[in-house]
Amino acid sequence: MTWDTIVTASPTFILGLPLLFAFLTTLVGRFSKRLGKLLFGVGLLLTTFFVGVMSYQVLTDGSWFYVFGAEQPSPENLLSFFRITFVADGFAVLATLTIAITALAAGIYSYSFMKGESGLNKFYTLFLLTLAGVNGMVLTGDLFNLFVWFEVTSVASCALVAFRNYKGKSVEAGLKYMVLSTVGGLFVLFSIGLLYGQYGVLNYALLREGITGTFIDKLALGILVVMFAMKSSSVPMQMWAPDAYGEAPGSVTPFIAITSMGSLFVLFRLLFGVFSVSISPAASGSILIILGVLSMIVGVTMALVQSDLKRLIAYLSVSQIGYMMMAVGVGLATLNTGEYESFGELAMQGGLFHMINDGVYKALLFLSAVAVVHATGIRSLNELGGVAHKMPYTTFFFLLGALSIAGIPPLSGFSSKLLIYKSVYLYSPILVIIALVVSIITLAIIGKAFFNAFLGPNQGLVKNHISKTMLLSMGILTAVLVLFTLFPNVVVTEIVSPAIEGLIGSFEGVLP
Amino acid sequence: MIDIGIVLEDMWSPIIFIVIVLLNLGLAYWLFKMGDPTYNKTEHSGEPFISGNRPPEDVRKIHVAGDNLFWGFTDALKRYFEPLIEGHTGRLNDYMYWVVITLAVVLVYIYLVV
Repeated sequence: MTWDTIVTASPTFILGLPLLFAFLTTLVGRFSKRLGKLLFGVGLLLTTFFVGVMSYQVLTDGSWFYVFGAEQPSPENLLSFFRITFVADGFAVLATLTIAITALAAGIYSYSFMKGESGLNKFYTLFLLTLAGVNGMVLTGDLFNLFVWFEVTSVASCALVAFRNYKGKSVEAGLKYMVLSTVGGLFVLFSIGLLYGQYGVLNYALLREGITGTFIDKLALGILVVMFAMKSSSVPMQMWAPDAYGEAPGSVTPFIAITSMGSLFVLFRLLFGVFSVSISPAASGSILIILGVLSMIVGVTMALVQSDLKRLIAYLSVSQIGYMMMAVGVGLATLNTGEYESFGELAMQGGLFHMINDGVYKALLFLSAVAVVHATGIRSLNELGGVAHKMPYTTFFFLLGALSIAGIPPLSGFSSKLLIYKSVYLYSPILVIIALVVSIITLAIIGKAFFNAFLGPNQGLVKNHISKTMLLSMGILTAVLVLFTLFPNVVVTEIVSPAIEGLIGSFEGVLP
Repeated sequence: MIDIGIVLEDMWSPIIFIVIVLLNLGLAYWLFKMGDPTYNKTEHSGEPFISGNRPPEDVRKIHVAGDNLFWGFTDALKRYFEPLIEGHTGRLNDYMYWVVITLAVVLVYIYLVV
């Protein structure tokens, strides 16, 4: 097997390695817990490595399609229809990079954070299964395969949320998440059935060519939009998210949040890649914009009244999802019009840049907040205070993440929000006014959280030690955040622009 | 070769911003150094000053709790906040209602608009 073959097959390694190591971790972990733990780390690092390999190849040589099974479907040979396509393009690079950065940080953090919990090998297995599932969702080019990865992600991440089953609230949050995910999955399967029944194909590219905009197509579109929006924690279907994020083990909270963003990546892929040719993108775009604005407003105002640190960040996360939906919605609404050239593409740049940005600073915020909860055993902002005296590094990490989510210059959150404001203003100034007000309230909320938890006299609340691996994981995220802050232009031209090309591209390579 | 241009869309350069902030910090430090170096720290310097009142012995009473911040804002807008908070019941049935309602609204919208 040559290096070129390995590079071409890198999408399969991104999916296969976490699956393999999930299996090995449990198997070997039965005999040696330390070896199981080591295998988890190796699996995570290898998956990240292959994400890097695929990204480098796509960004230097362009996109390709990796096909499992038959190269081309043929009517003479029924077995030839057993083929699954994976799309390695700019959009897949953006999605897998976002997931990989968060997964790596959450995995390293878990090493010491989860110490003392029982059944850790199962935890590592569930972590790797979730990673495989969410990577599969964003890499696949086939609807049924999407459903399979959707289910893998849902089952594994629900179990992760409820992992600490000795806590009633964790089990309740896991159950709610599981019921909603299962209902969502069944609806997704139903809409896939509607499309397959009409066109007899599941491949994105073939569907893109085949869909004619019938009554049934619109039904399938509506179901897919709502179910993936629900999984992305969009308002008014966001209520599961603060429960799940709040009660999941702290180290995996950002990872659970990134699986939600995985659903948003899929939603964008379907709207641009499958439905935008035959069903008015303006209508789909306006649905995204409405859901986005609702998410921004409701998310930020609910965060304002939270006194629980983790739930507060969870609601801010809902609010940030709103920015992405609004910006990409503007890009979709203007697609195939003159407005796309003048500001739609810029809105897309802002929205997609905000996705990778949000993945990083939200993870940093969650992990630093979890460090505070871990050190003090307190989640309530009414009881916290003065922890900066004993936790200077965590304070610094939290402050960086906080200022970035609030869009304070020069941090990277400001760069992506600036692109969104500049472009969305040309579509509708009212949307930008709402976005600016939401950003100001976000700053006020972050100020409240920082003031309450970190500032003030030392109250002697810090009881537990923060390990070096926990600091290392926050340090990795900080390093990425600093790079994004200093070179937003590089991120936009080298990662975000190819992602837009991939999203709008026509999948020509997979047509039979 | 990657172009590490420092200006985003001809409108924003974080590096120039940071340089200006550092210059300002340098200026502030220079002004600070121009101050009176003979200042004597007393035993009370650095203590909280609450409008001249004696600070409470228990440090927890100095700190403003989370719910107290923005109380005025949320109280003034309670007609917005109360139904919003009550809507977040925590009941799974209600979560499902919202999914079904949103699905119905989106489907009607698609059929009317597309």
